[in-house]
Amino acid sequence: MQIDLKSIHYKYPNTGNDVFTDLTLNIFGPGFHALFGPSGVGKTTLAKIITGEIKEFSGEIAMPEIDVVLYTYNLERIPGWSTVQDHLNVTTPDANKDKIIDLVSSLGLESCMDSRFTQLSLGQQNRTNLIRYLLQDFDLLIMDESLANVDEITKEKIILKIKHMFPNRCFFYISHNVVEVAKFCQQILVLRGYHKMPQAVILQGQNYTNGQSLNNKELERTMLEIVNAS
Amino acid sequence: MLHRRIYQFFIIYFLGLSALMLMKYGLNLSDYVIPSPTEIWQTGRRYFGLYFLAVIDTLSVAILGHILSIFLATVVGVIGRLTIWVGSFIRVAAYNIQAYPIVAVAPIIFILLGDGLGSRLLIAAMICYFPLLLSFIGILSEPVAEIEHFYETTMRMTWRLQVKIRAFENINKISTVIAGSGTLAMVGTIVSEFIAANAGIGYSIRIALYQSDLAKILVALFLIGVCTSLYLVCLEWLGHVVQKRLQNA
Repeated sequence: MQIDLKSIHYKYPNTGNDVFTDLTLNIFGPGFHALFGPSGVGKTTLAKIITGEIKEFSGEIAMPEIDVVLYTYNLERIPGWSTVQDHLNVTTPDANKDKIIDLVSSLGLESCMDSRFTQLSLGQQNRTNLIRYLLQDFDLLIMDESLANVDEITKEKIILKIKHMFPNRCFFYISHNVVEVAKFCQQILVLRGYHKMPQAVILQGQNYTNGQSLNNKELERTMLEIVNAS
Repeated sequence: MLHRRIYQFFIIYFLGLSALMLMKYGLNLSDYVIPSPTEIWQTGRRYFGLYFLAVIDTLSVAILGHILSIFLATVVGVIGRLTIWVGSFIRVAAYNIQAYPIVAVAPIIFILLGDGLGSRLLIAAMICYFPLLLSFIGILSEPVAEIEHFYETTMRMTWRLQVKIRAFENINKISTVIAGSGTLAMVGTIVSEFIAANAGIGYSIRIALYQSDLAKILVALFLIGVCTSLYLVCLEWLGHVVQKRLQNA
Protein backbone atom coordinates (compact mmCIF):
# COMPACT_ATOMS: atom_id res chain seq x y z
CA MET A 1 0.00 0.00 0.00
CA GLN A 2 1.61 3.22 -1.17
CA ILE A 3 0.69 6.80 -1.98
CA ASP A 4 3.00 8.59 -4.44
CA LEU A 5 2.54 12.24 -5.27
CA LYS A 6 4.85 13.63 -7.93
CA SER A 7 5.29 17.34 -8.82
CA ILE A 8 1.83 18.40 -7.72
CA HIS A 9 0.98 21.93 -8.74
CA TYR A 10 -2.28 23.56 -7.73
CA LYS A 11 -3.70 27.10 -7.55
CA TYR A 12 -6.96 28.17 -5.93
CA PRO A 13 -9.33 28.69 -8.88
CA ASN A 14 -10.79 32.06 -7.87
CA THR A 15 -7.77 33.77 -6.33
CA GLY A 16 -5.01 32.27 -8.44
CA ASN A 17 -2.88 31.85 -5.31
CA ASP A 18 -0.46 28.93 -5.35
CA VAL A 19 -1.10 26.17 -2.85
CA PHE A 20 1.40 23.61 -4.12
CA THR A 21 4.11 24.42 -6.65
CA ASP A 22 6.17 21.23 -6.79
CA LEU A 23 4.91 18.89 -4.12
CA THR A 24 6.47 15.45 -4.19
CA LEU A 25 6.06 12.87 -1.46
CA ASN A 26 5.68 9.21 -0.78
CA ILE A 27 3.76 7.52 2.02
CA PHE A 28 3.83 3.77 2.31
CA GLY A 29 2.22 0.99 4.25
CA PRO A 30 -1.12 0.68 5.96
CA GLY A 31 -1.47 2.43 9.33
CA PHE A 32 -2.25 5.70 10.95
CA HIS A 33 -0.49 8.60 9.23
CA ALA A 34 -0.83 12.32 9.83
CA LEU A 35 -1.26 15.39 7.70
CA PHE A 36 0.02 18.27 9.79
CA GLY A 37 0.59 21.96 9.20
CA PRO A 38 -0.61 25.44 10.07
CA SER A 39 -4.08 26.61 9.02
CA GLY A 40 -4.39 27.48 5.34
CA VAL A 41 -1.31 25.52 4.28
CA GLY A 42 -3.37 23.14 2.10
CA LYS A 43 -4.10 20.05 4.21
CA THR A 44 -7.75 19.83 3.19
CA THR A 45 -6.86 20.75 -0.39
CA LEU A 46 -4.31 17.93 -0.52
CA ALA A 47 -6.90 15.54 0.94
CA LYS A 48 -9.36 16.53 -1.77
CA ILE A 49 -6.71 16.08 -4.46
CA ILE A 50 -6.05 12.57 -3.17
CA THR A 51 -9.78 11.69 -3.09
CA GLY A 52 -10.31 13.09 -6.57
CA GLU A 53 -12.72 15.83 -5.42
CA ILE A 54 -10.25 18.37 -6.84
CA LYS A 55 -9.22 17.52 -10.37
CA GLU A 56 -7.76 20.78 -11.67
CA PHE A 57 -4.13 20.14 -10.66
CA SER A 58 -1.04 19.14 -12.54
CA GLY A 59 1.31 16.35 -11.50
CA GLU A 60 0.87 12.65 -10.88
CA ILE A 61 -0.75 10.61 -8.16
CA ALA A 62 -0.21 6.86 -7.93
CA MET A 63 -1.94 4.76 -5.29
CA PRO A 64 -1.37 1.08 -6.02
CA GLU A 65 -3.56 -1.24 -3.90
CA ILE A 66 -5.81 1.66 -2.92
CA ASP A 67 -9.16 1.55 -4.68
CA VAL A 68 -11.58 3.24 -2.34
CA VAL A 69 -10.61 6.56 -0.76
CA LEU A 70 -13.03 8.27 1.61
CA TYR A 71 -12.74 11.74 3.05
CA THR A 72 -14.62 12.91 6.13
CA TYR A 73 -14.60 16.25 7.91
CA ASN A 74 -15.88 17.41 11.24
CA LEU A 75 -18.77 19.59 10.08
CA GLU A 76 -20.72 16.77 8.46
CA ARG A 77 -24.23 15.97 9.65
CA ILE A 78 -26.59 13.05 9.33
CA PRO A 79 -30.10 13.81 7.98
CA GLY A 80 -32.51 15.18 10.56
CA TRP A 81 -35.25 12.66 9.80
CA SER A 82 -33.47 9.63 11.26
CA THR A 83 -31.95 8.61 14.57
CA VAL A 84 -28.29 7.58 14.81
CA GLN A 85 -29.34 3.91 15.02
CA ASP A 86 -31.57 4.10 11.94
CA HIS A 87 -28.94 5.96 9.97
CA LEU A 88 -26.20 3.44 10.77
CA ASN A 89 -28.51 0.54 9.91
CA VAL A 90 -29.38 2.06 6.55
CA THR A 91 -25.89 3.20 5.52
CA THR A 92 -23.76 0.28 6.72
CA PRO A 93 -23.00 -2.40 4.11
CA ASP A 94 -24.37 -5.82 5.16
CA ALA A 95 -20.88 -7.30 5.50
CA ASN A 96 -19.93 -4.68 8.12
CA LYS A 97 -23.13 -4.66 10.18
CA ASP A 98 -21.56 -6.91 12.83
CA LYS A 99 -19.06 -4.14 13.60
CA ILE A 100 -21.72 -1.59 14.56
CA ILE A 101 -22.14 -2.65 18.20
CA ASP A 102 -18.40 -2.93 18.81
CA LEU A 103 -17.62 0.47 17.28
CA VAL A 104 -20.56 2.22 18.95
CA SER A 105 -19.45 0.88 22.31
CA SER A 106 -15.76 1.70 21.74
CA LEU A 107 -16.59 5.26 20.69
CA GLY A 108 -18.90 5.66 23.71
CA LEU A 109 -22.08 6.31 21.79
CA GLU A 110 -24.46 3.67 23.20
CA SER A 111 -26.63 6.30 24.85
CA CYS A 112 -26.94 8.29 21.62
CA MET A 113 -28.38 5.60 19.38
CA ASP A 114 -32.00 6.69 19.72
CA SER A 115 -31.17 10.38 19.45
CA ARG A 116 -31.26 12.61 16.45
CA PHE A 117 -28.10 14.34 15.32
CA THR A 118 -29.18 17.78 16.57
CA GLN A 119 -29.71 16.36 20.06
CA LEU A 120 -26.04 15.33 20.35
CA SER A 121 -23.11 17.34 21.68
CA LEU A 122 -20.44 18.46 19.18
CA GLY A 123 -18.10 15.66 20.29
CA GLN A 124 -20.85 13.05 19.95
CA GLN A 125 -21.75 14.41 16.52
CA ASN A 126 -18.17 14.06 15.34
CA ARG A 127 -17.89 10.52 16.69
CA THR A 128 -21.20 9.56 15.07
CA ASN A 129 -20.00 10.90 11.77
CA LEU A 130 -16.70 9.02 12.09
CA ILE A 131 -18.42 5.71 12.91
CA ARG A 132 -20.48 5.70 9.73
CA TYR A 133 -17.29 6.15 7.68
CA LEU A 134 -15.45 3.44 9.59
CA LEU A 135 -18.32 1.10 8.76
CA GLN A 136 -17.85 1.58 5.02
CA ASP A 137 -15.56 -0.40 2.77
CA PHE A 138 -12.42 1.67 2.19
CA ASP A 139 -8.69 1.37 1.68
CA LEU A 140 -7.80 4.90 2.70
CA LEU A 141 -9.80 7.11 5.05
CA ILE A 142 -8.85 10.74 5.41
CA MET A 143 -10.09 12.11 8.74
CA ASP A 144 -10.13 15.92 8.65
CA GLU A 145 -10.39 17.09 12.27
CA SER A 146 -12.77 14.19 12.79
CA LEU A 147 -12.11 14.02 16.52
CA ALA A 148 -12.45 17.73 17.23
CA ASN A 149 -14.39 18.49 20.43
CA VAL A 150 -13.63 15.03 21.82
CA ASP A 151 -11.80 14.85 25.16
CA GLU A 152 -8.20 13.56 25.19
CA ILE A 153 -8.92 10.26 26.97
CA THR A 154 -11.79 9.31 24.64
CA LYS A 155 -9.75 10.44 21.65
CA GLU A 156 -6.87 8.14 22.62
CA LYS A 157 -9.27 5.25 23.15
CA ILE A 158 -10.82 5.82 19.72
CA ILE A 159 -7.51 6.08 17.86
CA LEU A 160 -6.17 2.94 19.52
CA LYS A 161 -9.39 1.10 18.70
CA ILE A 162 -9.19 2.16 15.04
CA LYS A 163 -5.57 1.01 14.83
CA HIS A 164 -6.49 -2.30 16.43
CA MET A 165 -9.62 -2.89 14.33
CA PHE A 166 -8.24 -1.87 10.95
CA PRO A 167 -4.56 -2.86 10.86
CA ASN A 168 -4.57 -3.30 7.08
CA ARG A 169 -6.19 -0.02 6.15
CA CYS A 170 -4.57 3.34 5.63
CA PHE A 171 -5.62 6.45 7.55
CA PHE A 172 -4.67 10.10 7.08
CA TYR A 173 -5.32 11.98 10.26
CA ILE A 174 -5.55 15.75 9.86
CA SER A 175 -5.08 17.52 13.17
CA HIS A 176 -3.48 20.58 14.73
CA ASN A 177 -2.58 18.74 17.90
CA VAL A 178 1.19 18.09 17.91
CA VAL A 179 1.06 15.66 20.84
CA GLU A 180 -1.48 13.26 19.38
CA VAL A 181 0.07 13.40 15.93
CA ALA A 182 3.53 12.64 17.35
CA LYS A 183 2.22 9.94 19.65
CA PHE A 184 -0.19 7.94 17.49
CA CYS A 185 0.95 8.39 13.91
CA GLN A 186 3.37 6.31 11.93
CA GLN A 187 4.40 8.80 9.26
CA ILE A 188 3.78 12.50 9.72
CA LEU A 189 3.48 14.57 6.60
CA VAL A 190 4.22 18.16 7.60
CA LEU A 191 3.03 20.70 5.02
CA ARG A 192 5.08 23.92 5.15
CA GLY A 193 3.52 26.23 2.58
CA TYR A 194 4.38 26.84 -1.07
CA HIS A 195 7.06 29.47 -0.32
CA LYS A 196 9.24 26.97 1.60
CA MET A 197 11.33 24.28 -0.01
CA PRO A 198 10.71 21.41 0.28
CA GLN A 199 7.00 22.06 0.63
CA ALA A 200 6.47 18.95 2.71
CA VAL A 201 8.56 16.96 5.12
CA ILE A 202 7.85 13.41 6.21
CA LEU A 203 8.76 12.52 9.81
CA GLN A 204 8.47 9.29 11.73
CA GLY A 205 5.96 9.34 14.60
CA GLN A 206 5.92 7.12 17.69
CA ASN A 207 3.03 5.04 16.29
CA TYR A 208 1.86 4.18 19.80
CA THR A 209 -0.46 1.19 20.06
CA ASN A 210 -2.18 -0.61 22.93
CA GLY A 211 0.15 -2.47 25.28
CA GLN A 212 3.25 -0.73 24.00
CA SER A 213 5.44 1.34 26.28
CA LEU A 214 5.97 4.95 25.26
CA ASN A 215 9.35 6.60 25.47
CA ASN A 216 8.63 10.16 26.59
CA LYS A 217 12.01 11.46 25.43
CA GLU A 218 11.43 10.06 21.95
CA LEU A 219 7.95 11.58 21.93
CA GLU A 220 9.33 14.99 22.90
CA ARG A 221 11.97 14.70 20.18
CA THR A 222 9.31 13.91 17.56
CA MET A 223 7.20 16.84 18.73
CA LEU A 224 10.19 19.16 18.42
CA GLU A 225 10.93 17.85 14.94
CA ILE A 226 7.33 18.54 13.91
CA VAL A 227 7.38 22.07 15.31
CA ASN A 228 10.73 22.81 13.67
CA ALA A 229 9.62 21.41 10.34
CA SER A 230 6.36 23.35 10.14
CA MET B 1 -52.86 32.02 14.69
CA LEU B 2 -56.49 32.26 13.46
CA HIS B 3 -57.67 35.08 15.70
CA ARG B 4 -54.44 37.06 15.05
CA ARG B 5 -54.96 36.97 11.27
CA ILE B 6 -58.66 37.78 11.54
CA TYR B 7 -57.93 40.69 13.94
CA GLN B 8 -55.29 42.01 11.56
CA PHE B 9 -57.75 41.87 8.67
CA PHE B 10 -60.54 43.53 10.69
CA ILE B 11 -58.21 46.36 11.71
CA ILE B 12 -57.11 47.00 8.12
CA TYR B 13 -60.65 46.68 6.75
CA PHE B 14 -62.20 49.04 9.26
CA LEU B 15 -59.34 51.52 8.89
CA GLY B 16 -60.03 51.57 5.14
CA LEU B 17 -63.76 51.93 5.76
CA SER B 18 -63.13 54.79 8.21
CA ALA B 19 -60.96 56.55 5.62
CA LEU B 20 -63.82 56.27 3.11
CA MET B 21 -66.29 57.67 5.62
CA LEU B 22 -63.91 60.53 6.46
CA MET B 23 -63.69 61.30 2.77
CA LYS B 24 -67.47 61.07 2.34
CA TYR B 25 -68.35 63.37 5.22
CA GLY B 26 -65.27 65.60 4.88
CA LEU B 27 -65.89 66.31 1.20
CA ASN B 28 -69.66 66.04 1.56
CA LEU B 29 -69.91 63.29 -1.08
CA SER B 30 -73.31 61.83 -1.97
CA ASP B 31 -74.47 58.30 -1.06
CA TYR B 32 -74.22 57.49 -4.77
CA VAL B 33 -70.41 57.89 -4.65
CA ILE B 34 -69.75 56.49 -1.18
CA PRO B 35 -72.69 54.77 0.51
CA SER B 36 -73.56 55.50 4.13
CA PRO B 37 -72.73 52.96 6.87
CA THR B 38 -76.43 52.04 7.13
CA GLU B 39 -76.59 51.29 3.41
CA ILE B 40 -73.43 49.18 3.60
CA TRP B 41 -74.91 47.27 6.53
CA GLN B 42 -78.21 46.68 4.72
CA THR B 43 -76.42 45.59 1.51
CA GLY B 44 -74.34 43.25 3.63
CA ARG B 45 -77.40 41.63 5.15
CA ARG B 46 -79.09 41.34 1.76
CA TYR B 47 -76.17 39.93 -0.22
CA PHE B 48 -74.25 38.03 2.45
CA GLY B 49 -75.57 34.58 1.40
CA LEU B 50 -75.10 35.14 -2.33
CA TYR B 51 -71.63 36.65 -1.98
CA PHE B 52 -70.56 34.06 0.56
CA LEU B 53 -71.33 31.29 -1.97
CA ALA B 54 -69.47 33.26 -4.65
CA VAL B 55 -66.41 33.61 -2.38
CA ILE B 56 -66.48 29.88 -1.60
CA ASP B 57 -66.64 29.21 -5.34
CA THR B 58 -63.61 31.48 -5.86
CA LEU B 59 -61.76 29.96 -2.93
CA SER B 60 -62.34 26.41 -4.28
CA VAL B 61 -60.85 27.40 -7.64
CA ALA B 62 -57.97 29.17 -5.88
CA ILE B 63 -57.19 26.08 -3.79
CA LEU B 64 -57.27 23.84 -6.87
CA GLY B 65 -55.03 26.28 -8.76
CA HIS B 66 -52.70 26.49 -5.80
CA ILE B 67 -52.37 22.70 -5.58
CA LEU B 68 -51.77 22.52 -9.32
CA SER B 69 -49.05 25.18 -9.15
CA ILE B 70 -47.33 23.50 -6.17
CA PHE B 71 -47.27 20.21 -8.08
CA LEU B 72 -45.93 21.86 -11.24
CA ALA B 73 -43.34 23.90 -9.34
CA THR B 74 -42.12 20.75 -7.56
CA VAL B 75 -41.74 18.80 -10.80
CA VAL B 76 -40.02 21.66 -12.65
CA GLY B 77 -37.95 22.52 -9.56
CA VAL B 78 -36.67 18.93 -9.36
CA ILE B 79 -35.62 19.08 -13.02
CA GLY B 80 -34.30 22.63 -12.65
CA ARG B 81 -31.91 21.58 -9.88
CA LEU B 82 -29.88 19.51 -12.37
CA THR B 83 -26.41 20.76 -13.21
CA ILE B 84 -26.68 19.62 -16.83
CA TRP B 85 -28.05 21.84 -19.65
CA VAL B 86 -31.72 20.96 -19.01
CA GLY B 87 -31.43 22.36 -15.47
CA SER B 88 -29.70 25.53 -16.63
CA PHE B 89 -32.25 26.01 -19.42
CA ILE B 90 -35.19 25.64 -17.03
CA ARG B 91 -33.64 28.01 -14.48
CA VAL B 92 -32.99 30.73 -17.07
CA ALA B 93 -36.42 30.25 -18.66
CA ALA B 94 -38.15 30.45 -15.27
CA TYR B 95 -36.35 33.69 -14.36
CA ASN B 96 -37.20 35.26 -17.71
CA ILE B 97 -40.84 34.13 -17.95
CA GLN B 98 -41.70 35.15 -14.39
CA ALA B 99 -40.75 38.72 -15.26
CA TYR B 100 -43.68 38.83 -17.70
CA PRO B 101 -47.07 39.87 -16.20
CA ILE B 102 -49.30 36.80 -16.44
CA VAL B 103 -52.46 38.93 -16.22
CA ALA B 104 -51.57 40.33 -19.65
CA VAL B 105 -51.83 36.80 -21.07
CA ALA B 106 -55.25 36.24 -19.46
CA PRO B 107 -57.30 37.50 -22.46
CA ILE B 108 -55.61 34.92 -24.69
CA ILE B 109 -56.53 32.17 -22.22
CA PHE B 110 -60.16 33.33 -22.20
CA ILE B 111 -60.24 33.46 -26.02
CA LEU B 112 -58.82 29.93 -26.26
CA LEU B 113 -60.61 28.26 -23.32
CA GLY B 114 -63.76 30.34 -22.88
CA ASP B 115 -64.98 31.90 -19.62
CA GLY B 116 -65.51 28.69 -17.61
CA LEU B 117 -63.68 26.93 -14.82
CA GLY B 118 -60.63 26.00 -16.95
CA SER B 119 -59.61 29.60 -17.58
CA ARG B 120 -60.02 30.66 -13.92
CA LEU B 121 -58.07 27.64 -12.74
CA LEU B 122 -55.25 28.17 -15.24
CA ILE B 123 -54.83 31.88 -14.47
CA ALA B 124 -54.91 31.24 -10.69
CA ALA B 125 -52.28 28.52 -11.08
CA MET B 126 -50.08 30.63 -13.34
CA ILE B 127 -50.12 33.66 -11.05
CA CYS B 128 -48.87 31.76 -8.01
CA TYR B 129 -46.76 29.26 -10.00
CA PHE B 130 -43.76 31.44 -10.83
CA PRO B 131 -42.97 32.76 -7.35
CA LEU B 132 -43.28 29.17 -6.12
CA LEU B 133 -41.08 27.87 -8.92
CA LEU B 134 -38.30 30.38 -8.28
CA SER B 135 -38.25 29.48 -4.59
CA PHE B 136 -38.37 25.74 -5.29
CA ILE B 137 -35.57 25.95 -7.87
CA GLY B 138 -33.49 28.01 -5.44
CA ILE B 139 -34.03 25.55 -2.61
CA LEU B 140 -33.62 22.35 -4.63
CA SER B 141 -30.52 23.47 -6.52
CA GLU B 142 -28.65 24.57 -3.38
CA PRO B 143 -26.50 21.64 -2.11
CA VAL B 144 -26.48 20.82 1.59
CA ALA B 145 -22.80 19.84 1.44
CA GLU B 146 -22.40 18.78 5.08
CA ILE B 147 -25.13 16.12 4.65
CA GLU B 148 -24.76 15.23 0.99
CA HIS B 149 -20.98 14.69 1.12
CA PHE B 150 -21.31 11.29 2.81
CA TYR B 151 -23.81 10.01 0.25
CA GLU B 152 -21.77 11.37 -2.66
CA THR B 153 -18.50 9.92 -1.44
CA THR B 154 -20.01 6.48 -0.70
CA MET B 155 -21.87 6.48 -4.06
CA ARG B 156 -25.28 6.30 -2.40
CA MET B 157 -26.74 9.52 -3.68
CA THR B 158 -29.93 9.25 -5.73
CA TRP B 159 -32.03 12.12 -7.07
CA ARG B 160 -34.81 11.26 -4.63
CA LEU B 161 -32.47 11.35 -1.66
CA GLN B 162 -30.98 14.63 -2.84
CA VAL B 163 -34.43 16.22 -3.17
CA LYS B 164 -35.45 14.81 0.22
CA ILE B 165 -32.36 16.22 1.95
CA ARG B 166 -32.72 19.67 0.40
CA ALA B 167 -36.49 19.83 1.01
CA PHE B 168 -36.12 18.63 4.61
CA GLU B 169 -33.39 21.14 5.37
CA ASN B 170 -35.52 23.96 3.94
CA ILE B 171 -38.94 22.86 5.17
CA ASN B 172 -39.49 26.20 6.97
CA LYS B 173 -38.82 28.16 3.79
CA ILE B 174 -41.01 25.83 1.71
CA SER B 175 -43.99 26.07 4.05
CA THR B 176 -43.64 29.87 4.25
CA VAL B 177 -43.50 30.17 0.47
CA ILE B 178 -46.53 27.89 0.03
CA ALA B 179 -48.54 29.81 2.62
CA GLY B 180 -47.48 33.11 1.04
CA SER B 181 -48.47 32.01 -2.45
CA GLY B 182 -51.97 31.13 -1.17
CA THR B 183 -52.83 34.84 -1.33
CA LEU B 184 -51.55 34.96 -4.91
CA ALA B 185 -53.80 32.04 -5.87
CA MET B 186 -56.81 33.92 -4.49
CA VAL B 187 -55.70 37.12 -6.27
CA GLY B 188 -55.21 35.22 -9.54
CA THR B 189 -58.68 33.68 -9.38
CA ILE B 190 -60.40 36.97 -8.57
CA VAL B 191 -58.51 38.76 -11.35
CA SER B 192 -59.50 36.09 -13.87
CA GLU B 193 -63.14 36.30 -12.75
CA PHE B 194 -63.00 40.06 -12.94
CA ILE B 195 -61.67 39.97 -16.50
CA ALA B 196 -64.06 37.54 -18.14
CA ALA B 197 -65.39 34.63 -16.06
CA ASN B 198 -69.07 33.90 -15.44
CA ALA B 199 -68.92 32.96 -11.74
CA GLY B 200 -67.11 33.72 -8.49
CA ILE B 201 -66.71 36.82 -6.37
CA GLY B 202 -64.57 38.57 -9.00
CA TYR B 203 -67.51 38.27 -11.39
CA SER B 204 -69.84 39.67 -8.69
CA ILE B 205 -67.49 42.63 -8.18
CA ARG B 206 -67.51 43.28 -11.92
CA ILE B 207 -71.32 43.38 -11.93
CA ALA B 208 -71.29 45.70 -8.87
CA LEU B 209 -68.80 47.94 -10.68
CA TYR B 210 -71.10 48.20 -13.71
CA GLN B 211 -73.91 49.21 -11.27
CA SER B 212 -71.53 51.66 -9.51
CA ASP B 213 -72.56 49.99 -6.23
CA LEU B 214 -69.68 50.53 -3.81
CA ALA B 215 -71.63 48.98 -0.93
CA LYS B 216 -71.69 45.61 -2.72
CA ILE B 217 -67.97 45.89 -3.49
CA LEU B 218 -67.20 46.61 0.18
CA VAL B 219 -69.25 43.59 1.29
CA ALA B 220 -67.43 41.43 -1.27
CA LEU B 221 -64.06 42.71 -0.06
CA PHE B 222 -64.99 41.91 3.53
CA LEU B 223 -65.88 38.31 2.66
CA ILE B 224 -62.77 37.89 0.47
CA GLY B 225 -60.60 39.08 3.36
CA VAL B 226 -62.18 36.75 5.90
CA CYS B 227 -62.03 33.69 3.61
CA THR B 228 -58.45 34.40 2.47
CA SER B 229 -57.35 34.79 6.10
CA LEU B 230 -58.99 31.44 6.93
CA TYR B 231 -57.23 29.76 3.99
CA LEU B 232 -53.85 31.20 4.99
CA VAL B 233 -54.35 30.06 8.57
CA CYS B 234 -55.14 26.54 7.29
CA LEU B 235 -51.95 26.57 5.17
CA GLU B 236 -49.83 27.78 8.10
CA TRP B 237 -51.35 25.13 10.35
CA LEU B 238 -50.68 22.43 7.73
CA GLY B 239 -47.07 23.62 7.39
CA HIS B 240 -46.69 23.52 11.16
CA VAL B 241 -48.11 19.96 11.34
CA VAL B 242 -45.84 18.74 8.53
CA GLN B 243 -42.76 20.26 10.20
CA LYS B 244 -43.66 18.69 13.54
CA ARG B 245 -44.24 15.30 11.94
CA LEU B 246 -40.94 15.41 10.03
CA GLN B 247 -39.02 16.37 13.15
CA ASN B 248 -40.57 13.54 15.15
CA ALA B 249 -40.81 10.94 12.39
